[in-house]
Parts: sequence; C-alpha cells; structure tokens
Amino acid sequence: MKPAPFDYCRPSTVTEALEALSSAESSRVLAGGQSLVPAMNFRLTDVSLLVDINRIEGLASVDCDPGGVTVGAAATQTQVLDHDGAASVVSGLRAALRHVGHLQIRNRGTVCGSLAHADPAAELPALAVASDAVIAVSGPDGERRIDAADFFIGAFWTALDDGELITEVRFPAEPPGSMTIVDEISRRAGDFAVAGLVATVEAEGGAVRGARLVGFGLGGVPTRLEAAEAAIRDWAPDHPADTLAEAVMADTADAFDDIHATSWYRREAVAALTVRAARRALAAEEAA
Amino acid sequence: MSLDIDSHIRHSTRHIGRSVPRREDRGPLTGRGRYVADIKIAGMLEVVFVRSVEAHARIVSIDTSEALAVEGVRAVFTAADLADVKTFPDYIPYIGPVRQRPLGTGTVRYVGTPYAAVVADDRYIAEDAAALVAAGTTYEPLPTVADLDQALAPGAPKLHDHWENNCSFDVAPHKPEVDRAFEQADHTFTETYVSQRQTGLPMETRGVVADITDGTLTVWSSTQSPHMVRSTVALMLGMPEPQVRVVHPTIGGGFGTKTHIYPEDIVVPWIARRLDRPARWIEDRMENLVASVHAREQRHEVEVAYDDDGTIRGVRCASMLDMGSGEIFMPGTAPVFVTNACITGGYDFPNMQARTIGVVTNKTPSGAYRGFGIPEGAFVMERIIDRVARLTGTDRVELRRRMLVRPGQTPYVMHGGGRLDSGSHTESFERGVEMAQPALERARARYAGDPDVRVGVGYSNYVEPTSPSYHLTTGHWGGGDAATVRVDPDGSVRVAAGLSAFGQGAETTAAQLAADALGVSPEEVTVVLGDTERAPYGLGSWGSRGAMMLTGSVLLASERLMDKARAIAAHMLEAAEADIVLTDGAFHVAGSDQPSVSWAEVGTAAWIRYVDLPDGMEPGLETSGYFHPENLQHQLDDTGKINAAASWSNGTHIGVVSVRVSTGEVRIEDYVVVHDCGTVINPALVEGQVHGGVAQGIAGAMYEHFQYDPDTANPRFASFMDYLVPTCAEVPHMEVDHFESPAPEQPLGVKGCGEGGTVGPPAVVAGAVSDALSEWGVDLTECPVTPVAVRAAIRSAEAAGTGADS
Amino acid sequence: MTISEPISEVDIEVSINGRTRRHRVPARLLLSDYIRDTVGLTGTHLGCEHGYCGACTVIVDGDAVRSCLMLAVQADGAEVRTVEDLAPAGSDCLSPMQQAFHDNHALQCGFCTAGFLMTLDSVDPAEWSEPERVVELLSGNLCRCTGYQNIVTAVTEAWSAYDGSGGSNDG
Repeated sequence: MKPAPFDYCRPSTVTEALEALSSAESSRVLAGGQSLVPAMNFRLTDVSLLVDINRIEGLASVDCDPGGVTVGAAATQTQVLDHDGAASVVSGLRAALRHVGHLQIRNRGTVCGSLAHADPAAELPALAVASDAVIAVSGPDGERRIDAADFFIGAFWTALDDGELITEVRFPAEPPGSMTIVDEISRRAGDFAVAGLVATVEAEGGAVRGARLVGFGLGGVPTRLEAAEAAIRDWAPDHPADTLAEAVMADTADAFDDIHATSWYRREAVAALTVRAARRALAAEEAA
Repeated sequence: MSLDIDSHIRHSTRHIGRSVPRREDRGPLTGRGRYVADIKIAGMLEVVFVRSVEAHARIVSIDTSEALAVEGVRAVFTAADLADVKTFPDYIPYIGPVRQRPLGTGTVRYVGTPYAAVVADDRYIAEDAAALVAAGTTYEPLPTVADLDQALAPGAPKLHDHWENNCSFDVAPHKPEVDRAFEQADHTFTETYVSQRQTGLPMETRGVVADITDGTLTVWSSTQSPHMVRSTVALMLGMPEPQVRVVHPTIGGGFGTKTHIYPEDIVVPWIARRLDRPARWIEDRMENLVASVHAREQRHEVEVAYDDDGTIRGVRCASMLDMGSGEIFMPGTAPVFVTNACITGGYDFPNMQARTIGVVTNKTPSGAYRGFGIPEGAFVMERIIDRVARLTGTDRVELRRRMLVRPGQTPYVMHGGGRLDSGSHTESFERGVEMAQPALERARARYAGDPDVRVGVGYSNYVEPTSPSYHLTTGHWGGGDAATVRVDPDGSVRVAAGLSAFGQGAETTAAQLAADALGVSPEEVTVVLGDTERAPYGLGSWGSRGAMMLTGSVLLASERLMDKARAIAAHMLEAAEADIVLTDGAFHVAGSDQPSVSWAEVGTAAWIRYVDLPDGMEPGLETSGYFHPENLQHQLDDTGKINAAASWSNGTHIGVVSVRVSTGEVRIEDYVVVHDCGTVINPALVEGQVHGGVAQGIAGAMYEHFQYDPDTANPRFASFMDYLVPTCAEVPHMEVDHFESPAPEQPLGVKGCGEGGTVGPPAVVAGAVSDALSEWGVDLTECPVTPVAVRAAIRSAEAAGTGADS
Repeated sequence: MTISEPISEVDIEVSINGRTRRHRVPARLLLSDYIRDTVGLTGTHLGCEHGYCGACTVIVDGDAVRSCLMLAVQADGAEVRTVEDLAPAGSDCLSPMQQAFHDNHALQCGFCTAGFLMTLDSVDPAEWSEPERVVELLSGNLCRCTGYQNIVTAVTEAWSAYDGSGGSNDG
C-alpha cells in the first residue's frame, strides 16, 4: 500500500499554488492529506503532481468576529476544535468536530479539506450547509465565493473546477437564541456516520420556534430536511413524535443502501435523531 | 502423569500461581521489538504478490513485459516458473482434495488468489510493477457462487472440476435416541441460526523473509507454527529438513490466522533460492483482508423437541460451513466439527444429533480463528435454550440451572465423545448470576426515566477444549510438544521449547515453570522459543495448548535433569541421593544446611570438571521431554466418537445491555466472566487472555462482518472503514472471577485458556438484546447484532402484530 | 522552504528524537517508511497504512499524527518523536507510562503499543485524565490482544496525579 510516483511542490503563495495546479493534468492539493493520502496508498487516486499548501503564509488561520468564523485552507480541525472563540460564535463547529475522526486525524486534517473531499457521511459539509457557510475559492479565472448549498454536487464531487483551490470558509454566527446539535449514529467511535443530523434549533417558551435541519450519510450530498423544518415549528415535547418523524421520512426518500445500513434504517435513524435534537434543545432551553 | 515439582525442592518463593511480570514487554515498550518487517538483510529484495481481482476466472494470459521493464524490478514469476515446487499436500482423506498450487494456475477461485510474484529493489517499485502485471492479465470470467445456497443449487458452477459438486464433506450421524425424543416430546420447532464471516486480524499482518547461506535456507516467518512451516517448506521445495531453518521473530498477534501455511511461506523461500538473494514479503492490510484466512461463516439448521415444562428432549442440527475456495493448507474444515463437538456447552445434553457439512464458494478460504468453531455452536445452543424458555414460560436462569453439568458429574462424556475431565459448570453459572445482578439493577436504574431504552441480560455457559489433537485438523500432525532444559557451567538455566509465542507470555510462563522445577528464580532462566534450529520439534501455539504443553514438556525435562543433578550433588557431598534436597538454588543433605553445592558447581562438574562426576556417569546436563497428554485421542472410536482435547476448560459469560428502541443502538453496560482453566500459572496472563478474547467475541457479536456481493462474489470490504474492529469505546468493562478446577490427568492440573473469551459474547449479546426487546417477542438468530438488525427485528415484529405498541 | 518547481525527489531535514537527519527522499515516500527504513527506527509499526489502526502514531511538532498518512517531505523542518525516545536515555528505566503498561499487563503482542504510547505522550494529562476522555483518546488506536481494559488501567494509574482540574505535565 504505497503511493504511485508523483511530483511534488510546495508553493509560498496562493498564486504560485494556482500556477502549479494548472501545470499538470492530475494535480491535487495537499492540505491535511487525511483522506487523500489513504486514497493514494490504496492507489485509488491518480495524482501526477501534489501541491502542498501548508507553507503558504496566512492560510492556517482561524479568525472569529461576532459575525462568524473564518477558517483558512490549511487550518487543522484540532485548531478549530480547540478555539474557544470560534466555539462561542458557531457552536456547531465544536459539536461537529467532536465527531470527526480521532485526535491523530484531526491534528492533520483540515476543515476546508473535509469540505473539498465532500464525503457524504461527513459532518462538516452538513454543518456548512446548515449554517449557510460560504466557501472562498481561487482559481485560474480569479476568486469566487460559493454558498455551501451550491457547493456539494454529489458524493465526493463539488463545484470546484479543475485548478481551483479553497482558500477559506466562512461560517456565519448562529442566530441568537439558537443552538446547534450535531448527532449521529456511527458504528464505532470516530467513524463516519451511518446517518447523522445537524440541527440548529431555536427554542423559546418550551417549544421549538424554528430549526435548520440537515441530514448526512443519506445521499450524495448533505440533505436539507425541509418538510421536517416545517413540521418542527412550534413542536413541544407533548406533541406526538410521529408527525415529525414522518416529515423526515418524506425528506429522505432517496437515502442509500450500503454494507453498514439500509436505506430505511438511515431514514428511521435520522427521524429519531431529529426528535432527539428537538427534545435536547428544549431541555437546554429549559435549563438555561 | 506424576510430575511433582515439590518432591525434592523447597522453595522460599514459588513462582507458579503468581503474576510474574512479563519478560516480553521491554522490546515493544521501547521500540526495540523485532518483528518480521524489522528484519533487514544486505541485498534483500522485496516481493509483492499480484492477486486475482476476479472471484472465479480462468487466467488466459499474463503479460509481464511492462513490469519487467520498470527500473529496479528484478524478476516476475508466475505459476509456470514454479513447476518444480510440489503441490500442497491433501492429507485429510474424507474431504475433497484441492490440490493447491503455491501460485494460482489456470483457474482462480477467489478475489485475492496470488498468481504472480514481482521481485524488486523496494516495495514502492514492486507495487508499481505489480500494477502493470495486473493490467497485463487477461481473464476469462466464470460464473461465481457467493454463498451456501448458490454453491449447493442444482447445476451450480463448480469450483473444483474434479469434484462431483461443491460439497467438500458431509458427515451425518444417526442417533435413534434422538428420533425417540422427537416422537415423545410435547412440541418441536425449527430454526436457522447464522454466524457471519470474520477473521482473527492480528495487528501485525503476515510476513516472510528468506535467505540462503551455505546451503541452509533460513525463513523468518510471522507464523504460529515454525516447525510445521519447516516440514512443509522442505517437502514442497524438495529440501532435507535440516537444511531449512524457520524462525519466528517477535510476532504481532496471530489468533489462528498464522497457524496456516500459506503460498507466500513457500514462494518467498523459493525466490530466495532461485535468485540467491535474501527476499522479503510483508503482507499489507489490503492483502491481509482477502489473503489471510477468514472464519466463522456457518449456518445451522436446527430442529428442537421440547416439553411443556421446558425440558429440551432432543436437537437435530445440520451445521454448514462456508469454506471459501478451500485453497488453504491446512484445510479450514475442522472448526465446524469443533462446533458440533462443543455445541452443547456446559450442559448435560446427550440427545444431540449433529451433521457436519463443508461447502466451497468463491471467497477467501476459511480457516482458524481463536475459538475455532466453539462460539458458533455456543450461539446455537443458548439461542435454543432462550427460545424454549420463552415458549414454555420457563425462567431462563432456572432452565439453565436444570441443564448444567453438576458438581460430581465429571468426568462427563459429551454427545460427541468430548470428555469434560473436571470443571465448575454449575458453580461458575451461579457465581456469574450473582455478579451480574447488581449490574442489571444499575442498568435498570440508569435508564428508568428513558422511555426509548430497554435493558436486557444474556447468558452463555461454554466449554473450551484445550490442547487438542491436530490430527483431525491436519490429517497429519498429532498433538504433543517437546522441551529441552539445560543447566550451563555457570548454573544458569536454558529452556528451549517447540512452542511459539505471539503475545500470550509463553516465555514468562516457561521461565516460571523451569524456575520452580529447578529451584531457581525466573530471572535465571533463559527461554528459547520459535526457532527450529535451537528448539525441539513442536507444533506451535494454537488450540489453547501453550500452558499445558509447556507445563508437561518443561516439567518432564526438568525432572529428568533434576535426577541427574541430584546424583552429581550427592556424589560431590558424599551423601546418598535420596537425602539430597534443593533449597533456594543449592543442593544439600536433608536436615543440614552445610555444606552445599550450587547449580554452578553441578553444572561445572557436568560439563567441565568430570573429576567431580560419579564414576561412569555420562557428562552433560541437558535433558528433553516430549509431552503427550493422557486421554488425548487422535481418531474416532468404533462408535464414531472422540475426545480430541486433553482437557476442557469452562466458563460463564453474562452481559447486561441497553437497547435504544428508536435507533437500534446497543450498548453493553456490564460484562461478567467467570472462568475456569484449572490450575493457573500466571493470573495476570490468564486474565489478559480473557479480556482479549471477550473483546474479539464482542467484535463478532456486534461489529465485524465480511460481506460479499451475491452476484459477483466480490468483496464488499477493502479497509478498516468496512471491517469494523472495535476500539476502546466499544469494548465494555469486564469483571472477571475465577474458579480453579484442576485437570485431574494433566501435570499440575493446568488447562488451556486462550480461546474461551471469544466464545460467550455472540450468545450473550443476542440473548441480552432479545431479552431487552421481549415485549416485541424479538428472538435474534444471527450475528452481528447491528443497529439495523435490531431495528429490522422490531419492525418485523410490529408488522406481524406480535409486538407491543410502542 | 518553498519548492516552486515540481520535483520527484526532495532534500529534507528532519529532527528525529532530537537528532537532525538529512536525506534526499522520493516525494512519495511515506513518513512511516522514512522513519522505519531510511532512518532505521523500527519501533514505529505499520498496521494498516490507511490511517485507521494508529500503530504508526508518532509525534510531529508536538502533535500525535498517523505517520502513514504523511509524506516524509511534509516533515521537512519538523521535529519528530518516536517510541525510541520515550525511555530516559542511557538508563534501563522506563518512562512512567511505559512502566504503567508493564505493571498492568497492558500489552500482549506489543505491535500496537508504540502507537498508544505516542498518542498518550502527545497530550496534556490534565486535559485528558477524566475516564471518558481517556476512552475517547484511546479510541484512535486499535489493539487486538488486550481488550483495552488493562491499557485503560495503566493510563489511569500513570495519570492518577491528574484530577482533570489542571496541574502540571512535569510528572
């Protein structure tokens, strides 16, 4: 399990990186490498040139302000997980990152790399969609900003064009009075989710006032649960769980089968996670 | 056997029975262990095997020219090059012969079959070239069989042309008393129970380094059985055995997978000879998942006859093993026989009629994995008992109590001839129930306020055959082992044994035994294992045999050595031999402490100062003992029964689980083990074996499952993302208690303990989850118990209207 | 240092266990193979080469990482520590964690042990000594022999001085 031969460069600026990316047929960006390198070890990915962006000045930054958190392309998941300021503005970051891999993976893996990799069972793409994150991209034709909702096209497939590079992602601050819950069913600690949910829930007076619900591990891309978002409005613990669960089932009809779970299981699980998230948010509100 | 280590020795400190710290630890702790991948020899070439990507195909052609053109590639070999190598022997007469060649030739029968070997300067280059060989291979695909039903269907594609069909063996005894039980019973039911495909998965993959110097071939192999590798390499390469030396360096776990002798064990030495260069192959994990044996894939079609009061009158069980392609040496047939031999566990249940069937499919060959068929049978029996309890309204604990082998009932002969020489079958269960009660109460209290959670408890009472015969498994080897003990001129002790060790602590154990047998401290004992040149012939470590084999062979050799040492000491002290005793490492005349002679003085006399020896005594102080356990049978008797194990350990596992109804998530809250392996030599090591075994059992109960595509027989797994080895977070805390029922016929009363831990968890988890979901009438019949399986069971109960409202 | 032009072999300088090493390595050489084969420190083991088992865990600039998921060239200029660096130099002593593993029978075959030790060595016990945190931390390393129980016991014993409320990492 050794990678096939490739060339390597380590640019010091984004411009240099873009030039390098355009210079070869199968060039790839190396940030954390925690998904790319295993794929290369399995010889599943054809790479002729690896462009290592880890020494580009300023790319490993995590900046936060009251309006949101900006994470640079080379910033590791551990950096963000340990960042108290980021957690206070976008609580979903810490909630999501707790489920990502293990310490050793998070120490190298990057937030932007996880978005670019677009694993359908990953937490961070779902968080990006749930929180209306904006992904900043540089390419041969200049810079552009892509809404997370438009960024994920399919499993391991994004709106990034050849020669483009994510430079940073901006997670807007959560709406006041809301909390983000990231919950999932995974077979083992640290595994990708069999099915998962990012729920940003606004609760007040013992009822859910509104929520953004995004499922993952269901299809090729994070799945916005729109019927459930409607059904959860004004939901309270004494309401029947069935209607909420049925709405989730309607939202997730396309969930896929694989060796870890069936489609119906994934749908049921996300329905259960949705009810659980609503209850948890209401309990938190009551406690606060 | 009357080995008595106390007859001539007085110890101020005994070491047997104490948790003597392991001498094996320091290397791995400091990074100075020496595993096979750590061996580096000047000029060593790297071998990579090219493996079939088709499950069943004829190889039409292999174009190696592009691979050979890669800089740094030294050679590419295919089956045609190995024509001078003999075929793996088919030693077992009653199974279909597979005539396995070291490299796939003509037809390949599973994804992962090695069919070419690339030799290059380093592994990276070898993999580059291997990819080119793969791309240059033309296959003619053949229809596949992916499971038992496909393999046994009329007109199914055959794996082995010279067979009638895909059935390797079918042994069907008939017991009239079981027929009578069915005639007389109040009720019957039928059920199918399934155990899934898994593997031992040592953290270190396999590996072979071979080098030929002055005509001697040295093979370093990560094997559990170096002497057997030597015999087989010598046979297949046509070399005299003394010219082949097999050494196992430090081994990173085996769990049965490394008992087999694989194609690579033959081909890498062949390459070293052919190129006259040291050669090395280290299996990578991607290969390991398809190229090291799988295990445990069995289906059990069961008929049960029972009475209204819960009495189980008789069981008929057809146990069917999915052998994969069957292309493995020694064959993977034996586990399903062990399943049937042990299926009744610790229960007094003679009315079992068990048929044993082996079937080949286009999957990785199945073989040995710690537990070796026992967990599959234990699962069936415990599920049957739970079912009967439920159908008759009998308490599950009470029913087991009624069925268990009682104190005083040993030696107890099981339905297939297995002879439970001693044990604590009832006592262990009672103790386990007592230990589990607080755990159950804790779990109920913990979830009392959560309407989504149910709590349940599951039970398993198993027996573990230890130090088995290897004849039924291999058709060739027996079941004994040898040790040599030597005292050098300086008085230090050297023990060499044919046993191997890969984490169990056998070196420490051997040192404890020799220390007590010779009245020295373990630190004064040097232990040599796993080297055919330095240790006598032995079969290695498997079958929970290490402790008993070491005890028997080391004590036998030590006793012989003591006889001679006492004669020398008596001569030096001018006393009668009968009056000589050994106290804390010095010989003296009983009743007087002065004068004395030390081991060094005796050793010096024996090897150097012959003037100190009694007249006519042959010099030297080295003795051997070949231990063959009493009551160990290698062949069936006239009634078709056999006691194929020297002694039988037993245990009880009880688990408390919580089940989340909405998601099917299962958590093991507490796990209780009561364990009895006779006299314990080193309690810490035994406990370690239990812990590790239980963790692997839980892996099988809930996580690990090799799945294949039913249409193509292609693996649906490629990595640890698909094959779910449990982490620390999945393995619960285990509370372990012990009984010690000595093996009455074995030295020191020692039994084996390596495998029992794996046996209980599938039955325990399925039983506990079914109990937790009893309001739905859930009765799980398959492993692994996954969230999907749990939800499926609840859904089908709800659909059938058998369950409660939720 | 910047490498502007694509190259297939790279000169690197890595500090390993306090000693500076300079090598020209193929760009594709994994850090794990660099440590084991080029430098010759074989205490770091390869258990899966796809970043799951943790056997190859080493410490790079203070962080535990999977060395099979890093290229050697990425460690250029970094400080790498391996299991060979844990025991006090020039003595027969073990580090407190190594000793706790030995005392609690927390290793059997020993193949995974280095990875566990490096993971443990990389963190501040004050932040990780709570029982649930210990389990979370250890869940990134697979062990097939011990069932983990004695490893948890060893860690708990070695870190018994830390109550999770802070404290120094000098012990």
